[in-house]
Amino acid sequence: MNENLFASFITPTIVGIPIVILIIMTPSIIFPSPTRLINNRLTSLQQWLVQLILKQLMSIHNTKGRTWSLMLISLILFIGSTNLLGLLPHSFTPTTQLSMNLGMAISLWAAAVIKGFRHKTKASLAHFLPQGTPIPLIPMLVIIETISLFIQPMALAVRLTANITAGHLLMHLIGGATLVLTSISPATASITFIILTLLTILEFAVALIQAYVFTLLVSLYLHDNT
Amino acid sequence: MLSRVVLSAAATAAPCLKNPAVLGPGFYISAIATHRVLQATRIFHTGQPSLAPLPPLPEYGGKVRFGLIPEEFFQFLYPKTGVTGPYVLGTGLILYCLSKEIYVISPETFTAISTIGLLVYGIKKYGASVGEFADKLNEQKIAQLEEVKQASIKQIQDAIDMEKSQQALVQKRHYLFDVQRNNIAMALEVTYRERLYRVYKEVKNRLDYHISVQNMMHRKEQEHMINWVEKHVVQSISAQQEKETIAKCIADLKLLAKKAKAQPVL
Repeated sequence: MNENLFASFITPTIVGIPIVILIIMTPSIIFPSPTRLINNRLTSLQQWLVQLILKQLMSIHNTKGRTWSLMLISLILFIGSTNLLGLLPHSFTPTTQLSMNLGMAISLWAAAVIKGFRHKTKASLAHFLPQGTPIPLIPMLVIIETISLFIQPMALAVRLTANITAGHLLMHLIGGATLVLTSISPATASITFIILTLLTILEFAVALIQAYVFTLLVSLYLHDNT
Repeated sequence: MLSRVVLSAAATAAPCLKNPAVLGPGFYISAIATHRVLQATRIFHTGQPSLAPLPPLPEYGGKVRFGLIPEEFFQFLYPKTGVTGPYVLGTGLILYCLSKEIYVISPETFTAISTIGLLVYGIKKYGASVGEFADKLNEQKIAQLEEVKQASIKQIQDAIDMEKSQQALVQKRHYLFDVQRNNIAMALEVTYRERLYRVYKEVKNRLDYHISVQNMMHRKEQEHMINWVEKHVVQSISAQQEKETIAKCIADLKLLAKKAKAQPVL
């Protein structure tokens, strides 16, 4: 049971060959690129969805910030689709691996911060001190703001990893409870099964929300620094 | 433009590839500018572009049962096993996997049941409406373009109609000119008559003057003559003649007075 609980989080290998790259590239199959003026339903829906997300996400940015549109849209689509595909039985979710999330978070966060320091040095340094602080508190506040700045990528990565991993684990555990309870008392098992169903609904929501939150925060960091 | 840029990059990298005489004169500027940007020597669009329109997409996907197994499989098994054949095959395979523990019932199973159950329920309930929504999106796009086309057609039609009406108007323009011509002729006529009358009046004025001068002279001469005659007559009456005349008048009057007494006064 102990081994099986975390079995779904091992990076998959087939006879020693890691196929995790293939698994990470899999969600791109469900996003066809539009070839004609009037496309099939999937492509039209995808176009509509991308337009919706784009308008909502990039409206706050100026021209310089909007150069990141492609990056952010592909980010939200990737995380969303990866999380949703991970809900299928016996599938591997790459976003449960802290390594991948750290890779995404640190790169994007560092790009935004370094961009801010290069182009608007004074404004970026000014972020370290909120307006209207009493003078004796300034040194401590600068230290705290620096810590909060450097914790941002960690928070991004760990938030995503923890949420998805916790969801998967919880589903596995409750599924296990249902399995064991089926032979003891089917009534309790059905209650547990209902809980599992509700949890699955939550997981679907969480999958999408986490993608949105990740992208939103990166967009926010970008907005601060453009 | 892009292909020209890339070709220039390719030409600068491998000059034997293209004959420079073929390329245009304004080329080297773009070549120099873009060689800094385009370091790789990749040539795009080497194949022939598809000249004919692409074949149309099938409108509906192939028919499937249970969302997984295509209809052709059922048709394939129909001659040998009839209608129930594929179902029996499926049930048998599932039971075989379960009993031999090829598929192990694990916590994952219940997760799978709940997930797949939710998915199937969701698709069955909202699938058609999502499809309609996608169709509506496409239809909106087409309607927009159609509207642009129709507006353009209408605009051109209106322009044609206006042009025709303008041409018709031009046909009727000569009325305007006729009226103007008549007006001018009338004005000229009026002016002529006016001047003619003025001339007549002036001449008559002068002639009247002469006539009145003549009349006046005539009158003056008459008066002068009468005065002269009177003066001379008065002069010619001497004093003695005057006395005789007066005495005779008095005698006549006495005579008359005697005659008149007899008749009554009326």
